[in-house]
Amino acid sequence: MIFGTNLKEATRSLITAKQRTLLALIGIVIGIGSVIGMVSIGTIAQNQALKQFREMGIDIISVRKESAAGNMDGFKLHDIRGFKESVPFIREVAPFIVSAASYQRGDNRTVMTLMGVTEIFFDINKLRVKTGRAISDLDENRYFCVIGDDIADLLQTAGSRTVIGQYLTLGKRNFQVVGTLERVIEGGGIRPYGLNKSVIVPLATAAKNFDRPEIETFLARVDEGLSTAMIRQAVQSYFLSRYRDAGFSVQTAEEIIATMQSQMRLFTLLLGAIGSISLIVGGIGVMNVMLISVTERRREIGIRRALGAFQSDIQSQFIIESVTLCCIGGIIGIILGVSVSYIFSRINHWTFTISYPSIVMGFGVAFAVGVFFGFYPARSAAKLDPITALRS
Amino acid sequence: MLTLENIWKNYTVGPTQLDVLKKVSLNIKDGELVSIIGPSGCGKSTLMNILGLLDKPSAGTYHIDNEPITYENDRALSILRNRRIGFIFQMYYLLPRLTAVENVILPLIYRKVRTSTARKMALDCLKQVGMEQRAGHRPDEMSGGQQQRVSIARAIIGRPSILLADEPTGALDTGTGQEIMNLFKKMNAEAGITIVIITHDPKIAAQCRRSIQMLDGRIYE
Repeated sequence: MIFGTNLKEATRSLITAKQRTLLALIGIVIGIGSVIGMVSIGTIAQNQALKQFREMGIDIISVRKESAAGNMDGFKLHDIRGFKESVPFIREVAPFIVSAASYQRGDNRTVMTLMGVTEIFFDINKLRVKTGRAISDLDENRYFCVIGDDIADLLQTAGSRTVIGQYLTLGKRNFQVVGTLERVIEGGGIRPYGLNKSVIVPLATAAKNFDRPEIETFLARVDEGLSTAMIRQAVQSYFLSRYRDAGFSVQTAEEIIATMQSQMRLFTLLLGAIGSISLIVGGIGVMNVMLISVTERRREIGIRRALGAFQSDIQSQFIIESVTLCCIGGIIGIILGVSVSYIFSRINHWTFTISYPSIVMGFGVAFAVGVFFGFYPARSAAKLDPITALRS
Repeated sequence: MLTLENIWKNYTVGPTQLDVLKKVSLNIKDGELVSIIGPSGCGKSTLMNILGLLDKPSAGTYHIDNEPITYENDRALSILRNRRIGFIFQMYYLLPRLTAVENVILPLIYRKVRTSTARKMALDCLKQVGMEQRAGHRPDEMSGGQQQRVSIARAIIGRPSILLADEPTGALDTGTGQEIMNLFKKMNAEAGITIVIITHDPKIAAQCRRSIQMLDGRIYE
C-alpha cells in the first residue's frame, strides 16, 4: 500500500519535471536499446543460419581444394567418384563447377551464378523445384538449365509469361529453361552461395562451356555421428596421394555450428561491454537527476519525517522513483531495439523473431540500474536531519 | 502529558557557544490549551522542535506520557512523531503535488493503514475542519486559511496526544487567523485535544487558558 502510494507519487514527480526526466531517460534508452537491438539481430542471424542446417541436415560436408600457386586445377571427376567408392562412410558425392556471368535483359542487369551440377546436388542441398523439373543425370551434355528464384523473377519482370521453355544465352550457347527453384535461405551454412541467382546446368555441359571449368569444391553426404577430425583424416589420406602440394579444407556442419556459436559468444561479450558502458553513463545521468530531485525536495522530506516517515520510507520513495525512471527508459529502449532489429531483418529478408530472453534481460538491467544508481541519492535523502530538511 | 526537565540547547558558532534554551522545565497536562509567547529569537521555535522530536536537546530529559525519550533510535522517534504528535506549521507545509485528502492521509500511510480506511478517516477529519468540499483540490487551488485547515486535519488524523502549532496564524489575516483560533478552541473544548500554540501575537495568547512567556531562552509563567 505504501508501495502503491510511492509509485503514484514517483510518477507524478517525474511528470512534474518533464525536461529533466527526458534528459535522464536518453542515456538509459540508448543503452538498453543498443543492447536489445544488437542481441536481437545476432539471434535472428543465428536462427537464420541454423535454419539452413535444419533443412539440410548436419550430415553434409564440403571439401575444397586449396591449390598451390601456379597450379589452379581442381579435382578430377573420377577422383571424387573414387573417393566415394573407397571411403565407406561417404554415401553420396556432389561435385560442382561454379562460375559467374553478368546478364542483361532490357534495363535489368544482374550477376548470375553459373553452376554445373549432377542430379544428387539438388537432393543434398534440399533444393525444391517450383515449376518444371530439376537437372537429371540423363541431361548430360544437353543445353538445359534450372534457374534460381531471383533469375526467374527477372525473366518475368522482363516480360516472359512462362519461364519454362525460354532460352537464356550464355556465351555462344542458348540454354533452355526446364525448371525453376524455390527460394532458399542463404548465408552461414554449407550450401554454395548464390543459389537464388543461379543458372544450373548439367556438369558435363558446364565442363565444356564455362570459362574456368574446374571442380574446386564438392559436397558429400556422410554417415551421421562422425567427428570432423575423422572426416578430415580420410580426405587428407585419400587426396594427398593424388594431388601433391595441394591442401584440402573440409567443412562440416558440426564445425560451422561451433564456429558460429563461438562468434556469437564473442559478439555477445562485445555487446555486453558496449551496453554496460552506455548503461553506466545512463545510470550516472539518473543519479544526477535524482540528486537534484533530493536537493529540491528537502522540505518535502522534512515534512514527511515530521509526519512520522521512517528513513527507510524516504529511501524507498526515492529508489522507487529512480527505478520507475529507469524502467520507463528500459521499455522505450526495448521498443527501440526491437524496431531496429525488425527493420534490419526486413532489409535482409530474414525471418523476424523477437528475442524474449533479451527483453527480460533488458528490463532486468534497467531495474538494476535504477536500484544501483538510485541508492546513493535515496540514502542521502533518508539521512537528512529532519529539522535541517524542514528549515530549508 | 509532556514533561521537560532542565532542558538545555546550545549551538557552537565558531569559537562562541550560543545557549538557545537555558534550563527549561515545563509540564503540559492532557487537555490543556497552552500558548508560548515571546519575541523572535527567544528560542520558542527550538522549544517546539524539541517538543516535537524534530530536534534533540543538548542536556536535560523529556518524557511523553511518562515515557523517557531516547534520541538514539531514529525509528522509535519516527513512531512517536507519527502517533503522539500533530504538527501545524506557519507556512502549512502541505505537499504541493498531492490533493487535500492525499495530504491528510500521509500520517496513516506511514502507519501502514489501508488506503481505503485512511481515506475515510481523512474525509472525516476534513469535515471537522470544514474542508470536505475541497478534498480533491491541490494546495495551490486553496487560500491560506483553507490550507491551514487542511494541515490541521492532517495533524489530528493520527489522534495524537498533542498538537504543536508553530505560529499557525502568522501568515493569515486577522479574520482568518481568528477562525483558525476558534477551530483550535473548539477542538480543545469538545474533543479535549491538548494544544500548544507558539505565537508572538498577544491577542492569540490571551485566548489560551495558560500562557507561557519566553525570553532569551528561559520561560516565565
